[in-house]
Amino acid sequence: MGVGFIAGVLGGLLFAHAAYSTIQYRGMLKIMEEEFSGPPTNVVIELLLGFVLCMVAGLAVPGKFHSILPDSEENRVVSLPSNLDFMIFNHRGRLSPFDPELKLKT
Amino acid sequence: MAVQDSTRSSSEGKSGDDGEDLSIFHAENLQNNMKSIYYSRTFLSIMGGVVAGIWGFTGLMGFVFYLLIMAIASLGLLAKAKFSVGNYFDSWNRIILDGFFGGLMSFVLFWTFAYDIVHIF
Repeated sequence: MGVGFIAGVLGGLLFAHAAYSTIQYRGMLKIMEEEFSGPPTNVVIELLLGFVLCMVAGLAVPGKFHSILPDSEENRVVSLPSNLDFMIFNHRGRLSPFDPELKLKT
Repeated sequence: MAVQDSTRSSSEGKSGDDGEDLSIFHAENLQNNMKSIYYSRTFLSIMGGVVAGIWGFTGLMGFVFYLLIMAIASLGLLAKAKFSVGNYFDSWNRIILDGFFGGLMSFVLFWTFAYDIVHIF
């Protein structure tokens, strides 16, 4: 989460700076009365770098994939509870009188 | 945790030679994977739209750029699934096609938005 999120924020900042540079470049072109044919090289590099950062963010932030196979390692449910002290093997049948000779009176 | 396994669902049998071999998988985990794929694709199409707008693409060029972005995104998702699609998804379409048209709408929206801000105003 942390690394991906920071990468996304950095990418967004790079985009903002690239947009600002392009606006300034266009203003300069307007003064020099030339046609816009494409953004300057540093803007292109900035855009590509920002996109790579956003790619990292978009892939890292949503979290890992979970295996869908029922018999894979992470889907097994054979582990015991961590606190075994609370497991009780006692029941109230122990207190009731036990007599094999006892029979129901009819 | 113990009831997690009870939510297994069986997909329809694969067409072809193994007709009766039903594949069983965790529906919950599959849904989780699909959700993260949608998240990735939507985010990447928004960011791709911003890039296309700042770059100044117009017309068909932008859609070609979108195709390129989606191809790169598919590669990234494939790498995220450690190149074993069968482990995490029930079909290849999940990784290659899902979220394509939904992302296209966001892409066009942010493409025109960034283009307007940078090149028109």
